[in-house]
Amino acid sequence: MSNHDTHEHGDPIAEIKKVTIILSVLTIIELILGFWMIGVTSEGGRLAIKGTIVILMLAKAFYIVAYFMHLKHELKNLIMTIVVPLALFIWFITAFLSDGNSFRNLRNTYDPHFKEQATIKVEAKEGHHGEEGAHATEAKEAAPATEAKEAAPAKAAETEKK
Amino acid sequence: MSNVTTASTKEAKWWNGGKSPFDVEYGKVMMWYFLMSDAFTFGAFLIAYGTVRFSTNGWPNPNEVFKSYPFAGEGTNAPLVFVSIMTFILIVSSVTMVLAVHAGKMMDKKGVVRNMILTIIGGIAFLSCQAWEWNHLHHEGAWWGMNPFINADGTASSTNFTNFFFTITGFHGFHVFSGVVINIIMLIMTLTNQFEKRGHYLMIEKAGLYWHFVDLVWVFVFTCFYLL
Amino acid sequence: MSHEAVLHAHESHGHDDHGHHEHHDTFLTKYVFSQDHKMIAKQFLITGMVWAVLGGLMSVLFRLQLGYPDASFPWLESILGKWAKGGQITPEAYYALVTTHGTVLVFFVLTAGLSGTFANFLIPLQIGARDMASPFMNMLSYWFFLAASIVMMSSLFVETGPFSGGWVAYPPLSALRDASPGSKSGMDLWIISMALFVVSSLLGGLNYIATILNMRTKGMSMTRLPLTIWALFFTAVLGVLSFPVLLSGFILLIFDRNFGTSFYLSDIFVNGVGALSNEGGSAILYQHLFWFLGHPEVYIILLPAMGMVSEIMSVNSRKPIFGYMAMLGSLFAIAVLAFLVWAHHMFVTGLNPFLGSVFVLLTLLIAVPSAIKVFNWLTTLWRGNIRFTPGMLFAIGFVSLFISGGLTGIWLGNAALDIHLHDTYFVIAHFHIVMGVASMFGMFAGVYHWFPKMYGRYLNNSLGYMHFWVTLAGAYMIFWPMHYEGLAGMPRRYFDFSIWESFKQFAELNRFISTVAMIVFAAQLLFIINFFYSIFKGRKVTDPNPWKSNTLEWTTPINPGHGNWPGEIPEVHRWPYDYGKDGVDFIPQDVPVGDHESSH
Repeated sequence: MSNHDTHEHGDPIAEIKKVTIILSVLTIIELILGFWMIGVTSEGGRLAIKGTIVILMLAKAFYIVAYFMHLKHELKNLIMTIVVPLALFIWFITAFLSDGNSFRNLRNTYDPHFKEQATIKVEAKEGHHGEEGAHATEAKEAAPATEAKEAAPAKAAETEKK
Repeated sequence: MSNVTTASTKEAKWWNGGKSPFDVEYGKVMMWYFLMSDAFTFGAFLIAYGTVRFSTNGWPNPNEVFKSYPFAGEGTNAPLVFVSIMTFILIVSSVTMVLAVHAGKMMDKKGVVRNMILTIIGGIAFLSCQAWEWNHLHHEGAWWGMNPFINADGTASSTNFTNFFFTITGFHGFHVFSGVVINIIMLIMTLTNQFEKRGHYLMIEKAGLYWHFVDLVWVFVFTCFYLL
Repeated sequence: MSHEAVLHAHESHGHDDHGHHEHHDTFLTKYVFSQDHKMIAKQFLITGMVWAVLGGLMSVLFRLQLGYPDASFPWLESILGKWAKGGQITPEAYYALVTTHGTVLVFFVLTAGLSGTFANFLIPLQIGARDMASPFMNMLSYWFFLAASIVMMSSLFVETGPFSGGWVAYPPLSALRDASPGSKSGMDLWIISMALFVVSSLLGGLNYIATILNMRTKGMSMTRLPLTIWALFFTAVLGVLSFPVLLSGFILLIFDRNFGTSFYLSDIFVNGVGALSNEGGSAILYQHLFWFLGHPEVYIILLPAMGMVSEIMSVNSRKPIFGYMAMLGSLFAIAVLAFLVWAHHMFVTGLNPFLGSVFVLLTLLIAVPSAIKVFNWLTTLWRGNIRFTPGMLFAIGFVSLFISGGLTGIWLGNAALDIHLHDTYFVIAHFHIVMGVASMFGMFAGVYHWFPKMYGRYLNNSLGYMHFWVTLAGAYMIFWPMHYEGLAGMPRRYFDFSIWESFKQFAELNRFISTVAMIVFAAQLLFIINFFYSIFKGRKVTDPNPWKSNTLEWTTPINPGHGNWPGEIPEVHRWPYDYGKDGVDFIPQDVPVGDHESSH
């Protein structure tokens, strides 16, 4: 039925070995960057490392799809019908993330409660057992709830004024 | 029109009907398109996660959350160690799957059986790791709707960090689980000589595509949750 | 060649996974658990028709409320019981009816009923295949659809009523169990039903794609495919890539409902309850996820109708379709743009205004391929030798409705206008004309045109003409006035307008709309009667090619069995639109090209 074995390139086993090594090396570089990032505090530095990690992630994805999933050795017809629709992700990601970002800005501008939340420091909780942890969360959730209760009528009043 | 259809270039002939334009059987076309649609399922999850992260002021630091591994003491601080083990388990199981597919093409039943067993072991190992991690986090008080961790800047964190973590890794784990089930079925079919009788191991190839896709998704999940 | 041999040829034709094919059909294997694509198509069609009647009935009931808000109809109470206390529909029942009407018509009638029917029926017949790539998956696709239908149906009978937060199921109405009566178990069943529906459409879509790509007969190159098949192909691709996003959105919604998460919930204050503990989520996220499916869904509904209309117009004008490649290119452009414009449904949600203007631009771009299609249809009709069969009339009606509804789409695509018109009756009028009624017309056109192939009998023409004229006139009489109501600011989804001074002027208009809606609904019963009467008693087809059409489905016998062609599958030598070429009325696709034939 399918005779694509006839146009196989090179020794498949050698290719599998090569790709395995590449994937391992890429993962190790990612991990090194991850460890490195723990120490980096500047916004720009972290962003640069994150960008590099995303590029490495895409490279890994390419090797898995192209060699493990064998797409590179399929006919060009198949490659195109698979790869071209994935371009839809570009606008999918751009629009969603930029609107998420804009939603944060909106809330920081018009929602005093939301903005205030981002400035109040809380204690880190050290709960190692399920029950304790659950109690801790409940307590934590109760606190903002009461705050919100006070904030909400104020908000409603604000909107009415408008 | 007619000069398009009568053109006898090699490219055009693939599309002229009477055969597959991709030179693969329909099952593989379906599997590829199914994986594309599944890519949109996972894509939607991860993009939703990104959107919520972008619309929130603070976010917990993954290195503070995922810092333990099995049999370690309570105060361990070893970020990324355990998840890198999980990642390598999945990569290795993907490699054994490729070897199984290759053995299938060579009609080497023994090779298929050996590599399928290794792949299944890899899958089960990955699931066990995930089970341990979920259990560990649950003991720390994390679950859907419960988040004991605080943001990296010391402010209170919304529950969406754990919500997304459990939903997406859970959905991925469900895929790994179904992949293991599929692989076990393929192993049984190989052992009962079903593919020998058919004269080809195309089903192994399709199962392989699915398994690699699961690995591929983990590449993205791993990056999005543990590194970024 | 015996039937046995045919099926073996069928199996060697690229099939390796299913060596079944029982020949001794019992009632169950022939009509219920059938794997014949033609029977599955009929199953989709008839289930879709059942839903169309129920959905239409719901619209009649809520139009009754809008038209006669003060009147009391005792018979309503005897049908609806506590949902119509004292003969008047309760607000809860009104919202449940509106929601179910939307969900059912969009997903069950115009998605499953339209592309489920015609993709199943036409793809193998028109590309020259014995059946779908995987007949088993095809059967599963119908059974998942039926399961979805049954779950949706059962949600109508739960104690607290079906979901009543609108077919778009926005949180918090859909995410908070206590938001409304319908948000309780009604919503649970709604989500389960939709999840089953996504599985059904995925199974179907994968099958359509693999069949169209892999199973074409010899000579059937992609540029010789009838436009119907191209349209169904793009429909399937849209479905396969966008439904999973909806599924993801629903999974997050299920967690919000049942597991205490707050993906879509934040800053909610409920009177009498206080502030909810959900923090950090975003209701806009749900709308993004929903409309990422929701907008392609519009084209999942429209494209099959467009494809069938192109085909029917060309056949009945006895002229080749004008601009085949342009039609194909515009189909492709629409399919791509469908994925890029979803947020034009969300201009008033708090969407980033800059992002909104990008969406305006992309949305308005859709006008270009749509206009190309409209002009190509009109030029196909131009100086044609037109046969006004009921199918042709419905096809022309489709173009008329597509133009009238499409033009208001340009208004609504502009954020500046949409902020004024959003959620008014203008929107109702727009999408009912361009998407609802137009696709219904495409569906009717398809049924009238291919009924002879489906059942070997004709539908009654006189009933067909009556059905067409009442429906066309009625559709305009219902939806045209709604534009004015919308421009005056009348909001949609309101139970009763009589209490507002500013909308009192529309009381009579609303009564008129409701009356026409009932008449149009009655006219659809005419079609249903025609359909079922003609299956058993209709005039028999004697000519295997009654419309003198070029496409391959008419080269099969009048009542094709499973496997479609008794002998070899015909080979294709030409495109499907050789009408009136060199003075010959029509040249079917399986006729070899003559020596002195001109190129088209």
